[in-house]
Amino acid sequence: MRFEGLWFRYGRRADWTLQAVDASVEPGQTVVVLGRNGAGKSTLLQLAAGVLRPSRGAVRDRPPVVGWVPERFPADQPFTAGDYLHRMALVRGHDPSQADEWIERLLLADHTGTRLSDLSKGTAQKVGLAQALIARPGLLILDEPWEGLDAVARTLIPGIVAEVTAAGGMVLLSDHRGETARIPGAIHWQVADATLAPAPPPPAPARDEVVIEVAVRRADADEAVVRLRAQGHAVLGVREAGR
Amino acid sequence: MSALIRMRLAGFLRGGRILPPAIAVLVVLGVIYGGGASPAAVAYGYSAAALFPVLAWQTKLLLDTEPDVQRRLARVAVGPRSEAAAGLLAAALLALVVCTLAMVTPWLFHGIDTTKAVGSGTALGVLAHLLAVPPAVAVGALASRAVTRGVRNGVAVLVTAAVLVVVLGLQGSITPWLVPPVMATARALNDVKAPPAATLVLLVTWATLWSAVSFTLYAHFRRTRS
Repeated sequence: MRFEGLWFRYGRRADWTLQAVDASVEPGQTVVVLGRNGAGKSTLLQLAAGVLRPSRGAVRDRPPVVGWVPERFPADQPFTAGDYLHRMALVRGHDPSQADEWIERLLLADHTGTRLSDLSKGTAQKVGLAQALIARPGLLILDEPWEGLDAVARTLIPGIVAEVTAAGGMVLLSDHRGETARIPGAIHWQVADATLAPAPPPPAPARDEVVIEVAVRRADADEAVVRLRAQGHAVLGVREAGR
Repeated sequence: MSALIRMRLAGFLRGGRILPPAIAVLVVLGVIYGGGASPAAVAYGYSAAALFPVLAWQTKLLLDTEPDVQRRLARVAVGPRSEAAAGLLAAALLALVVCTLAMVTPWLFHGIDTTKAVGSGTALGVLAHLLAVPPAVAVGALASRAVTRGVRNGVAVLVTAAVLVVVLGLQGSITPWLVPPVMATARALNDVKAPPAATLVLLVTWATLWSAVSFTLYAHFRRTRS
């Protein structure tokens, strides 16, 4: 897929959100789009998805099946989560049961009877993820996919990305939280001042730790050490209280 | 595309947004048929004209029910053309159902004079409603949020169109062709005698051309405004 001389602005008198973007994505590649809030990451992703139409230039060789996960899932709809996903499978020309696989995998089974407007933000986001994956997209576009997701759901995303790219698909995702360290082999683009440039991968976050002193009953000491270590904390030492 | 049409109709009906236009239809029918029985052609001619703004409004409400982001998701799923066409078809289907109800209801309350030209009058009535549906859907679509972007612009388009259809449709209007032949159809049917075939051909051609231009305009706006 190629971006050829892409320019975009949200109105004739508006400033350019993106200028002269030339870039390409190869099959099997994952691209992480970096940039501060409002830099134009979402705009670039929506141009890639075909949701927005470039003011100038074109997106060429876009795969026929595109899955787009918007930054915020539109939950203001009178459907339950299950009904919505089954209907979206039908809209995509698939059997409604195709949605069930993703309902299972994204741990949505307990929420299928809940109205979209009553879902928590993270669960609604998972519904947004599921609707994009039903059709087995050749291009998956994830706009801030980690936003609002719980710890378990976060761990699912790298696997899903790997599945799409392993099947020869492409993945474009934006991230301003530095979570992309979880996605190995991704290339990085930086959007700044309305232009796009390749970027080095962001450095892994430095270990940022504090030391907390905790007093524990002597009888519970062994158990506390084991439990803290199991939670990933480093136990620096054990000493008598009051010294 | 039929799945998307069903999804949009379900969203519109379940969300309860159909209630205001449904009440408006009842009011229109009450006004038209409250005064006693009239010949079929005359009654249906007025019914089609009076329903025009309601059908346009209903179309706008239907198209505006879906959140903007969901409309974009539908666009990614089925492509921009099918997405736009599905909305128009859903609105047209709903308008046809409303027209059918509006034509059947007066029979239940003896609103149609059964002594005069019932068969031809009903056939002309069906034609009058069929001529009103595409322009009404086109006006509603041009007033929808996807085109006008804001509530104020949308309402302005809708109200202006509804007023112009009446004002420019009056007898002796200099530019009647600027609006669809809603008033002209009602006038042609306002007689127990059926209008000449040439008049009917003119009305059908006029409504078809007007709708074609409006739908082309809608397609243009949908392409250029995301």
